Amino acid sequence: MKIKVCGLKHPENINAVAALQPDYVGFILYGKSPRYMANLATDALQTIPASIQKTGVFVNESSENIDRLVTEYGFNAVQLHGDESPEFCAAFKGRVTVIKAFGINEDFDFEQLKDYANNIDLFLFDTKTKEYGGSGKTFDWAILDQYKLDIPFFLSGGVGLENIKEVKNITHPQFYGVDLNSRFEIEPGLKNIEKLKEAFKIIKNKTQQMKYGVNEQGYYGDFGGAYIPEMLYPNVEELREQYLNIINDDDFKAEFDDLLKNYVGRPSPLYHAKRYSEKYGANIFFKREDLNHTGSHKINNAIGQILLAKRLGKKRIIAETGAGQHGVATATVCALMNIECVVYMGEIDMVRQAPNVARMKMLGAKVVPATSGSKTLKDATNEALRDWIGNPVDTHYIIGSVVGPYPYPDIVARFQAIISQETKAQLLEQTGKELPQYVMACVGGGSNAMGMFYHFIEDEAVKLVAVEAAGKGVNSGESAATTALGDEGVLHGSRTILMQTEDGQVVEPYSISAGLDYPGIGPQHAHLFKTGRGQYVSITDEEALQAGLLCCQLEGIIPAIETAHALAQLEKMKFEANDNVVICISGRGDKDLDTYINYFGY
Amino acid sequence: MNRLNKLFASKNNNLLSIYFTAGYPALNTTVDIAEALEKSGADFLEIGFPYSDPVADGPTIQHSSECALENGMSLKVLFEELAELRSRVSIPILLMGYFNPIAQYGVERFCKKAAEVGVDGIIVPDLPIYEYEKMYSSYFIDNGLSNIFLVTPQTSEERIRKIDELSNSFIYLLSSSTITGYNLKLSDSVEEYYKRITAMKLKNPTIIGFGITDSSSFAKACNYANGAIIGSKFVKLLGEEGYMDKIDGFVRGIRP
Repeated sequence: MKIKVCGLKHPENINAVAALQPDYVGFILYGKSPRYMANLATDALQTIPASIQKTGVFVNESSENIDRLVTEYGFNAVQLHGDESPEFCAAFKGRVTVIKAFGINEDFDFEQLKDYANNIDLFLFDTKTKEYGGSGKTFDWAILDQYKLDIPFFLSGGVGLENIKEVKNITHPQFYGVDLNSRFEIEPGLKNIEKLKEAFKIIKNKTQQMKYGVNEQGYYGDFGGAYIPEMLYPNVEELREQYLNIINDDDFKAEFDDLLKNYVGRPSPLYHAKRYSEKYGANIFFKREDLNHTGSHKINNAIGQILLAKRLGKKRIIAETGAGQHGVATATVCALMNIECVVYMGEIDMVRQAPNVARMKMLGAKVVPATSGSKTLKDATNEALRDWIGNPVDTHYIIGSVVGPYPYPDIVARFQAIISQETKAQLLEQTGKELPQYVMACVGGGSNAMGMFYHFIEDEAVKLVAVEAAGKGVNSGESAATTALGDEGVLHGSRTILMQTEDGQVVEPYSISAGLDYPGIGPQHAHLFKTGRGQYVSITDEEALQAGLLCCQLEGIIPAIETAHALAQLEKMKFEANDNVVICISGRGDKDLDTYINYFGY
Repeated sequence: MNRLNKLFASKNNNLLSIYFTAGYPALNTTVDIAEALEKSGADFLEIGFPYSDPVADGPTIQHSSECALENGMSLKVLFEELAELRSRVSIPILLMGYFNPIAQYGVERFCKKAAEVGVDGIIVPDLPIYEYEKMYSSYFIDNGLSNIFLVTPQTSEERIRKIDELSNSFIYLLSSSTITGYNLKLSDSVEEYYKRITAMKLKNPTIIGFGITDSSSFAKACNYANGAIIGSKFVKLLGEEGYMDKIDGFVRGIRP
């Protein structure tokens, strides 16, 4: 399917659209249109790659003027949107691609098109309006069955993200492509690049270009999907249908960015850790997510999801938590938005992380102990899912990691992607280079790691290092090193890699860090692992605690024990002197003081 | 025509199905319990195989699953126990459980083995339509197994039509959007939902499950569907002393 983006008029915006590589771009040369490209310099289109057909759109213009403008702007195609006759069109054929537009309604007589058949190259079928084009409304596409000529056509009028999938279902043999215009705008003539990106992704099903990204069915290679009971289907389906529209919406973005800046305290610093750099013989940078409000990266996702829940009209929030960081983040945003909050937490974790239980309660959340199974994170997740089954209409489930049924892994990754987005800009500013040699992060379910990797995944020169918790040792029987010990299977709604018995029962993981003892990993991590794009390693409790202490002593930062796993991996790496290495300091260690104290005997 | 189709062809109302978890309360009881249920008049049975993370189940069935796993129940053990199934039990039998144990056993191998021991259908709550159709349906069909889909009050008409098309024995209607083990409350909206389903005139029979506990809720459910399933309430009985002797009274009490 070809893609035409029509109605451009601002030079920077034109370049941004061209970078998406549509097949056609359209410029409106009709004075009454709000997208009229008046006063656009004639050389403004010169930077558009030759692979893109530059189309001039005219309404009942004189052929002299069309000729002149084609020459001045270097148009490869003309789109005639008025009452131009077949003979008028024929005059341009052979010199440029000739597109004749028609407004369609239920009374449209397709017979009249016959006279144009030999005189043009393409039809464009738009919604019929009193004016010429630009209604933003669709017509009933079933009418296209009446079109029997063998000239290909563009479909135009009201195509937006919400109906783009239906467009993909059009099977008419002459269906040539889609014309994207008003539904992808910030204002008339100014295109929303993020929305266009989504549309391009859907239309082109860009699994090749986005080698490590998610496809339309929610799969990352062999992993992902939505293995959920029917009782959860409507909840997940509602999210799946709406999440991209909502999070690409400009109002949403503005509110999200504002809260990240003024409430969370972003951007978080990228700190050049000098003593670490000396010790490990490379430029080590800390991405300081520990400085976020509530003390970890978890708040990024919680903010994003509470705004999503609000726009979905939900009145109640549920969440699961392991270490309590995600629970605290969720309780925080619920307080902020005045929404009821219920957090499920394993009974055992509630004891291990008592201060976080108190925090959640102070923030007004109800903390419900998960007493089933192993009474830890996976069981808290089960309980949250059970709650959601029973409350399908008014409740949103804020999953805290890049796990769960599609679209959760993608939603959480997008909200955490701010970590790598900022890192890129900060690296450029501090080192002159956007891409480091390594990015490193710890992995339980994998949300801070996915945020740290997100904008580097497709740049294969950047090595991705994910650090799992080996617990008392990979082969000790008390470990959470999922990629080392796990097999492919289904956990919490997605196909991934998980620790399980031969009979497919989920194995209870162990780590000293409550945030890492999850028996699975997010499906995108499973894909990065299986394809070899990411390096997945593991660190024991003891190595992590030692690394945590070292970080206190060398840099004056008490890291969360989760984060200390990533820091410990530095001991095992071999760097070149000029390597830039970014390590995600996912959380601060206050919550782990008891564990540190018990271990070091302070 | 498998046993399920024969059953529905011969009888289309007040069908009673009972669910129980294999390996609970002890190993080597699966066929004994099935036989006792048939003798007391159950029309067909669902035998659950346990999973460590049963998200669609309430406390009763969760507990039975935990016990069964502790007792050593697995698909391998279950199929061994079911080897003598068809020499002792003739009513239709379905296996019900979560997808991961099946995936580990191998979906094709699982379907083959199930057919071999005389199982008629499979219910996998967390195997949705898309994955079933795209990846696994041929294994079910080739082995003559019916795959049963669930429908809830929130399921759209379009999706119900799709489920009807993919089903070849019956559709499992959930009394409400809930996990197992909660009492059926026949509120107006639930009644409306049943009426909506009836009006759709589906080609497959419908059986109501979740929240059916006694003769009165069973009778209510049968007003709207071809029959109903009792699960948690029966599993509770299996936790009692001398449960084998109580099975007959329990079943006859449901459908006096």
